[in-house]
Amino acid sequence: MTVTESPARLPVASRAEVRRAIVGIVAADRRRALLAAVLYVVAAGAGAALPILLGEVIDGIGTGWSATQVNLVCAALVGCVAVQFAFVRLGRAAGYRFGERAAARLRETVVGKVLSLPLHRIEQAGTGDLGTRTASDVNAVAQLLRETGPHVVTALIELTVLYAAAFVVNPVLGLCALLTAPLLVLNARRYLRGARDTFLEQRSAQSEAAEALAASAAGARTVASLRLQDERLAAGRERAEHLYDRLLRVLRLQMGFFPFLQGTNRLQVCVVALAAGLWYFGGGITIGTVVASIMITLRFSNPTNMVMTQINEFQQGGAALARIEGIILIDGEERTALPEGADIVLDEVTFGYGDGPDVLHGLSLHPRVGERLVVVGPSGAGKSTIARLLAGIDRPRSGSALLGGVPVCDIPVEELRKRIVLVTQEHYVFTASVRDNLVLAAPDADDRLLLDALRQVDADWVASLPEGLDTMLGDGHFALSVAEIQQLALARVVLADPDIVILDEATAGIDPGSAGNVEAALAAALTGRTVIAVAHQLQAARAADRIAVVEAGRIAELGAHDELLASGGVYAELWRTWRGA
Amino acid sequence: MPTAPPGTPLRLITGPIRSQIFRIALGALFFVGAAAASIAQPWLIGKLVDDAIVPRQAGSFALWIGVMLVLAAVHPALWISGYRQFYLADATARTGFVVTMAEHLNDAGPGVRGKVSTGEMINLTTDDAFHAGRTCGSIGHITNHLSMFGIGAVLVWTVSPLLGAVVVGGGIVTGFIAGPMLGRLQQRQLDYRVGLGGLTMRAADIVGGLRVLRGIGGDVLFAERYREQSAELRRIGYRVAGSNSWIYGLRQALPVTFLAGVTWVGALQALAGDISVGGLATAFAVSTMFVVVSGNLINSSIMLVQTWVAAKRIVAFLATRDDIDTGGDRRGATGELHDPDSGLAVEPGRLTVLVSAESAPAQAACERLARYRDSDARWGEFELSGLELDEVRRRVMLLSDEDYLFSGTLARTLRVDGDEALAAIETACAGDVYSSLGSSLDGEVAEGGRNLSGGQRQRLRLARAVAARPETLLAVEPTSAVDAHTESLIAARVAVAREGRTTLVATTSPLWLAHAERVAWMVDGKVHASGAHAELAADADYRRLTSHQEFA
Repeated sequence: MTVTESPARLPVASRAEVRRAIVGIVAADRRRALLAAVLYVVAAGAGAALPILLGEVIDGIGTGWSATQVNLVCAALVGCVAVQFAFVRLGRAAGYRFGERAAARLRETVVGKVLSLPLHRIEQAGTGDLGTRTASDVNAVAQLLRETGPHVVTALIELTVLYAAAFVVNPVLGLCALLTAPLLVLNARRYLRGARDTFLEQRSAQSEAAEALAASAAGARTVASLRLQDERLAAGRERAEHLYDRLLRVLRLQMGFFPFLQGTNRLQVCVVALAAGLWYFGGGITIGTVVASIMITLRFSNPTNMVMTQINEFQQGGAALARIEGIILIDGEERTALPEGADIVLDEVTFGYGDGPDVLHGLSLHPRVGERLVVVGPSGAGKSTIARLLAGIDRPRSGSALLGGVPVCDIPVEELRKRIVLVTQEHYVFTASVRDNLVLAAPDADDRLLLDALRQVDADWVASLPEGLDTMLGDGHFALSVAEIQQLALARVVLADPDIVILDEATAGIDPGSAGNVEAALAAALTGRTVIAVAHQLQAARAADRIAVVEAGRIAELGAHDELLASGGVYAELWRTWRGA
Repeated sequence: MPTAPPGTPLRLITGPIRSQIFRIALGALFFVGAAAASIAQPWLIGKLVDDAIVPRQAGSFALWIGVMLVLAAVHPALWISGYRQFYLADATARTGFVVTMAEHLNDAGPGVRGKVSTGEMINLTTDDAFHAGRTCGSIGHITNHLSMFGIGAVLVWTVSPLLGAVVVGGGIVTGFIAGPMLGRLQQRQLDYRVGLGGLTMRAADIVGGLRVLRGIGGDVLFAERYREQSAELRRIGYRVAGSNSWIYGLRQALPVTFLAGVTWVGALQALAGDISVGGLATAFAVSTMFVVVSGNLINSSIMLVQTWVAAKRIVAFLATRDDIDTGGDRRGATGELHDPDSGLAVEPGRLTVLVSAESAPAQAACERLARYRDSDARWGEFELSGLELDEVRRRVMLLSDEDYLFSGTLARTLRVDGDEALAAIETACAGDVYSSLGSSLDGEVAEGGRNLSGGQRQRLRLARAVAARPETLLAVEPTSAVDAHTESLIAARVAVAREGRTTLVATTSPLWLAHAERVAWMVDGKVHASGAHAELAADADYRRLTSHQEFA
């Protein structure tokens, strides 16, 4: 049985762990973060000086300043603009660099972690969830660190400095400006409560629409063949309507947020103008202070809107970070055992996937060193599970899977793969050159060795590639057929040259005419190695040293081809059927 | 099916404008009103200072504060009303593009194969539809910002024509300098995005091939490669940060410079008694608001550029066409299907097995006979290409591993219900599919059959083809992923289920050959011999290919 993609079972980090992660990100580069913040405080201070100097000028004119005095203050004002420009630039540069470094560190950590995940975790999670986390989640957090984060933080600094400036001009009026802050907080909390689900639902509606159309495109021939045009169009329309509906929800959310945000900003100006006017009537402040306070208050709205409209991105970035940290926090495996020799044995093993029922029931199998053992049996009998236990991917529930006297699951991966290699029918071509696709199995191999390995698996097509070993393969590059991809995978095995090779339907996609040649070539290349081949077809069985017939999680028969035929059991029956007799 | 001409990007993005002109006009009206209400604030502050605070007039102080409070409520109401109209216009456009693309997929049919990847299709329906559908909103926001700019300039003009000139001049200069600069920034960010795309692809590659990397080695190599590429992206990022910070600084500094200019000129005018304190306050406040307006205006313009790029991609997709001639109109063909290219003939009403050492030419021949490729293939006395395509599709079905399983219930997948569905499942030995989906025809098959194993998917596709009961079924390697015992059951059951109908199976398995009424043996893409299995078996090469006995 081929194991199908199971639902996501990768962990997600808790709030506290996410908080620790954020602190960690800032602390890792705290000097640069601090530098950026200080530069920005100076820039914002210079910016806030403009309305203050305006107030000075107004009061000066009232008290009979000369043109020289006015010009001097206005020149100071221009100086402030220059300072602001210089420090904004330096602050931005420092902020972006901080974000860039943090983003790079994060993605390298994640990929490093992914590349050291325990084998059974990789199998469990499937590549879907892991792929989403290493691609779109990492990009979402990186975007937050590089762009949105610095923008919002600088807006927050600007706000803080502006409020400080308001207090400098007049503490009482500064307090009046703060009167509307609770309204903002309430509005933001209400918005964030709704925002999370609303934006998530909108995004998932968008993905569903995309998935429906992508399926129609991928299955274009099936649509034509089964004449599904009306159905597919209906599906597309339905998803589009659903998306429209979710977009309306976003609009409703925004309609309850934006007007209050704008209204609060305007109200703030009214409150400060009212207080300043009344106080002026009472003789407490000058007209310059009145104007300066109102002008500072006018400046609040832009950074406030910036912070308020971006907070939901922090919310979403936090969710993405929780998923990323979930991977980073997965415990590594303690694998320290070192095997002696290449003797592999399954002893009374039982095994089942997850919480599911047992698939193997006290199964024992002892391939002899250097023999060619073929495992056959009907679909679902547990053939692939045996392969996974032998390869040390899964740990048996009871009983033991031993290599060289130690549990296979306790052998470090780097050591294990020198001894055992499992090849399944799910092959993968990396978006890289043919050379790089092969050399990963043997980092020191030269071209001669690589070509030799390809020849041994009958992959003579390499000679006709446009750029030989340098030909790029994978998405958007030279496309190989399924059979050629399988030969590539088998060539990797030849290069890796392990003691034990487990082939799980490894030649299933190769043309019927050439499968035999490939198998024969591979068998020659692997002489002296223990080869355990799982097959649903019986091609390879006859040439094998021994054949194990698996039925319902147990070894039903074990022996050489002729012995099994003579005994007239399950294998004999299978053989007869297969031969079409 | 007739298809509209693909059109141009301009036609595409102006389509939603033409069809929603009333909504856009209404939204624009609201936005102009909102702009007036917004820019009125600085003017009101000037009035408040000059008419109420400086002369200490309690009555007019209450009046102007009252007007400011009213506008504090009116402006958001007007703005959100306009926003709502443009948002709805954009949402309609965006979802409309999705439907247009869904319709086009039907028109182009199998012609989209190989021309648009799954990734591209997803981008077209998400990012591209989003960007291309933002024309109305961009127009709305540009209207809003330009109105604010115009009304504000007039207000300052009434205070002092000189200040008005400084405001207008400063605004234009800002626009002309900052606009192209941001364009260049966009270009730099594009470089970054290309690098980021490459890095994301490498990460996806690592995850996709993780089993290989962990199982056979290469994890260290790939981790190192990724780190190098990541470091390279960081360097590009540093360069972007450098130029970014200059542009950002300038973009902020330019409007502030002209704010300082307005203040200086205004202060000297106030000193000379040409303008009042309130007038100076108005000019300063308007200029403060323009700092924000100019930034927003530039952002809206950049959105229009993105719209154009996305629209070009959508139009290119809408220009894909079916790759076969769909013009045939004759009906009612009967007799033998014949493919002159390979010499393959499919006799009506019988089970033919096509034996070929290589799968590709066998598949190609079937594709020609099922009319997925243009060729000289014939159906009885007619040329296949002269027949009405819809009729050919109804009567001739191709079954291959390329067939797709759409998400839906088992019954919906099989397109029949009840006993018929169960019978098809039985024929294809797909009982385990049925039981793994909860032993119910309502069990859900995931998109692409992702919740089934490769073997299960193959048998479910076969069950679907059997259930469709096409007059002619051309099946390429329908049992390549099942064990011998099951294969022999399937061959026997399919032979019975399709008794009297035309069936061709491309395979070398003796289990199918046992049921063949006729065998065509293909060598190097041409039919080398045909006849009964027993007759052909006299040839040693044929025997080696089809008889498992000779294998050793």
